[in-house]
Amino acid sequence: MNPQEQRLRRARLMTAAWTGFVLLVIYLPVLCSALASLGKGRYFLFPIRGWSVDWWARTLDSIEIGMLLRTSLALAAAVTVVAVAAGFFGALAFARYDWSGRRLYQKIVLLPIFFPQPVLGLALLLWFNAVGMEMSWRTAIVAHLVWIVPVVTLVIAIKVYGFDPALEEAAFDLGASRLQVLREVTLPILWPGIWSGALFAFLLSWGNFPLSLYTTGADSTVPEWLYAKMIAGYTPMVPTLGTMSTIAAASALGIGALAAMLMKRRRAA
Amino acid sequence: MRDSVVMHEDRPDTAPGAGPVLELAGVRKTFDGFVAVERIDLQVAEGEFFTIVGPSGSGKTTLLRMLAGMEHPTEGDIIVRGRSVRHLPPNKRPTCLVFQSLALFPHRTVGENIEFPLKMRKVPPADRRVRALELMRMVRLPEGYYAKNVTKCSGGERQRVALARALAYDPEILLFDEPLSAIDYKLRKTLEKELKDLHKETGKTFIYITHSLEEAMVMSDRIGVMRGGRLVQVGTPEDIYTRPTDRFVCEFMGEVNVLPVVAADGAYVCAGLTGRFTPPPGGPQPPKGFIVVRPEFLHFVEDDDTTTENVIVGTIYNEYSLGSRMQYQVRVGDKTFIVEQSRRHACSGAPDRPVRIGWHARDAIFVAE
Amino acid sequence: MATDMLEAPAPSETAPRPAPGSRALAFLSAGARCALPVYLLLAVGFAAPLVAVVAFSFATPRSFDVFATFTLENYATIFDPANTVWLSFAWSLGFAAFTVALLAVVAYPIAYGIVHLFGRWSGLVGILFVFPLFISENVRLFGWVLFFIRNGVLDGSLKALGTDGGPDVLFTPGMILFGMVYTYLPFMLFPTVLGLSLVPRDVVDAALDMGATRLQAWREVELPLAMPGLLIGMLLTFVLAAGAVAEAKVLGGQSVIVITHDIEIAFTYSQNWPLGSALAVLLMLIIGGLTLAALSRLDLDRILGRK
Repeated sequence: MNPQEQRLRRARLMTAAWTGFVLLVIYLPVLCSALASLGKGRYFLFPIRGWSVDWWARTLDSIEIGMLLRTSLALAAAVTVVAVAAGFFGALAFARYDWSGRRLYQKIVLLPIFFPQPVLGLALLLWFNAVGMEMSWRTAIVAHLVWIVPVVTLVIAIKVYGFDPALEEAAFDLGASRLQVLREVTLPILWPGIWSGALFAFLLSWGNFPLSLYTTGADSTVPEWLYAKMIAGYTPMVPTLGTMSTIAAASALGIGALAAMLMKRRRAA
Repeated sequence: MRDSVVMHEDRPDTAPGAGPVLELAGVRKTFDGFVAVERIDLQVAEGEFFTIVGPSGSGKTTLLRMLAGMEHPTEGDIIVRGRSVRHLPPNKRPTCLVFQSLALFPHRTVGENIEFPLKMRKVPPADRRVRALELMRMVRLPEGYYAKNVTKCSGGERQRVALARALAYDPEILLFDEPLSAIDYKLRKTLEKELKDLHKETGKTFIYITHSLEEAMVMSDRIGVMRGGRLVQVGTPEDIYTRPTDRFVCEFMGEVNVLPVVAADGAYVCAGLTGRFTPPPGGPQPPKGFIVVRPEFLHFVEDDDTTTENVIVGTIYNEYSLGSRMQYQVRVGDKTFIVEQSRRHACSGAPDRPVRIGWHARDAIFVAE
Repeated sequence: MATDMLEAPAPSETAPRPAPGSRALAFLSAGARCALPVYLLLAVGFAAPLVAVVAFSFATPRSFDVFATFTLENYATIFDPANTVWLSFAWSLGFAAFTVALLAVVAYPIAYGIVHLFGRWSGLVGILFVFPLFISENVRLFGWVLFFIRNGVLDGSLKALGTDGGPDVLFTPGMILFGMVYTYLPFMLFPTVLGLSLVPRDVVDAALDMGATRLQAWREVELPLAMPGLLIGMLLTFVLAAGAVAEAKVLGGQSVIVITHDIEIAFTYSQNWPLGSALAVLLMLIIGGLTLAALSRLDLDRILGRK
């Protein structure tokens, strides 16, 4: 093998090793949580002396945690629906149409992403209070949307950039109505972008903590409850619920990817 | 099919006894089992303008990238001035590539682009500038462009910047990867001539690849035709035009009439056509092959014409104006012939009228199967 | 042409005809109509709260009578030399600066691998780096507590191996910095990937072909061309780290009070909204100034629109 190919191979190996190491570091704490959830004792001691799934059973049985899950799910579902609708049109404005306010709009959309979420949460808390709104998981929908809609807009916009507007024009030209063009041309082509936008919206809302913390009022989401227990009153339910939540997110991602793949295959067939 | 061709011994501009500037010895390249370039042997003389022509996927770009050092041969060796460069990275090779995309640095001005290789060699700024301006004159870029952003330049100007930048590297061999392919016809013609002039002026060896045989004919001293990773013919433009060695080379040159023929009693017959065809004089006469006739050598045969050896009868079903010439499609049975004639010799016949077309045996090319 | 690769496909000017019934909106262009829902959301959920925060920062301390009073007292309190709140600012900005510097070094090789070296594995590697964003940061940070705590995974394992146990790193500033680097890695990685994929391969090859060494080609060509993406990543991580609070609370164990923590205390425990608002305004000025300065220079079509 010649020296240059060797060099490339070495570079690839070193980069892969570094990437692998960083990934290991990233998933190490997730693994630690999973380990902690499988201990028998009330307190976490490593190496684990008695393995058990007691805490998993107890967590699943807990009525309190059932309520947390319902709140988190309702919140994430509501956020997904609104974010995808707003993000779809937002992405068209971002990348599809050449209108006079576009450059400014593109930058304004990014601002909430470039803004620390705890500060945004506190600002929303103050604002909702000032206008006299009762805080609940419903107000948190607005809070989540403020940062998730821009993310979904970007995710869909990247797909829209690759969309040739001539296709829509051709469809109009062939006698399709506006609605038919949307249904027959625009949506099917942008579908992968919309689907990943929806996944992002759901999962980002599901895992969000700083915005929920200040805007859910008396309601509590999974991350909020975990945080409260971490700070005061550790129980092995904390790593257990944390691990469950992670597995749920991973499954959602997996199912989402699988559905997208099946859809693609069915279309290709 | 020949895949090894040795350079002409009688090149006037090669000093006697001097070796070739570039030599490929059995160069082969595979990608995961796919053969991109199949055992090429080639020698290029000092100061030669050598063009490799081939359709896309023929392996010509891979071959060029191996010369530049961006790909590495799986087998074989690349020798520049008697020294193997096979293991050298691009930045240590005496070759410089002008990319199809031109690969100008978009964040740099015209001057900075041209000076780049000098800067890498740590030439002082003042000297760099002098050299850059000199090169800009050479490629006919106005001096005022020195501080212009390359992204603001037109297509033709960018070609010139890329050329000047490559010359600034002062390579032994300049390599060109179809740099003119994205340029409109008229400008391309101008740039082809300029490139030829520049070749003469600098005296450097140019290796150029293109899919256009026409472009190759205009500029090159010698042409190598590639197909399926092999060099199928190497020769002067004249050789390639008049003595193509196989059907592929013939067809690659543009529209041609190809008749698959078999020998019969000293002449040839073609299935589906009545008449016997005389092969071009001289040369071997194998039992099977193709008679190839260029459209410009096919003509309409008057009734009193007795010198045309090969005549067929068909009907005109289409005619096109090519400007100074006319092109006709003539149907004979289930075959279609293309005839090209100057307007002076145009056919006055109406469409669908039977016509006689023919060619002189000396104008046809015979290639073996 | 090399530069053509950088030019985004031009968005079409043709807009579908306005739908019947949307006559009230007909005076808006198609793009503006599409932007409307997003604008509405941002007006209610982003602009209005920020205006409220600014308004509150001028209200009488410890009161809730916004718009009724106007005073600079809150700012005076913050800038009072006796007040040590500047320390919180210093910690936050310091953490942010170090986070950016470390992340640039950590993320660049990975981004390079994703763009150039990993081939068909790139997608999977990308997903593995995105996924942590879907796990709430406190869960992941708490995992580190379980790892580093006395009798935790590290300490326990080392003891089991017969050594003295793990180092006592929890609840130190260094740990907070580590937590930030850990949490914000994806925000640096993906803009860097975007930036690197903006660099045409030919252009780097051309630099090498013309005698540049690997280092020269990197410094003269690859880095400057990837800069827009790198800048976005650096800005994003700086801003997020400057406003971060979970790392300091979970991993720092309150050994350091960062600025957002101060704001939170003012809003919650001490019920001094005007003071908290004034602090938030100052933080927003720093963050907003940086963001606007950087964003105004970027051509987003070019960065996102490449295909």
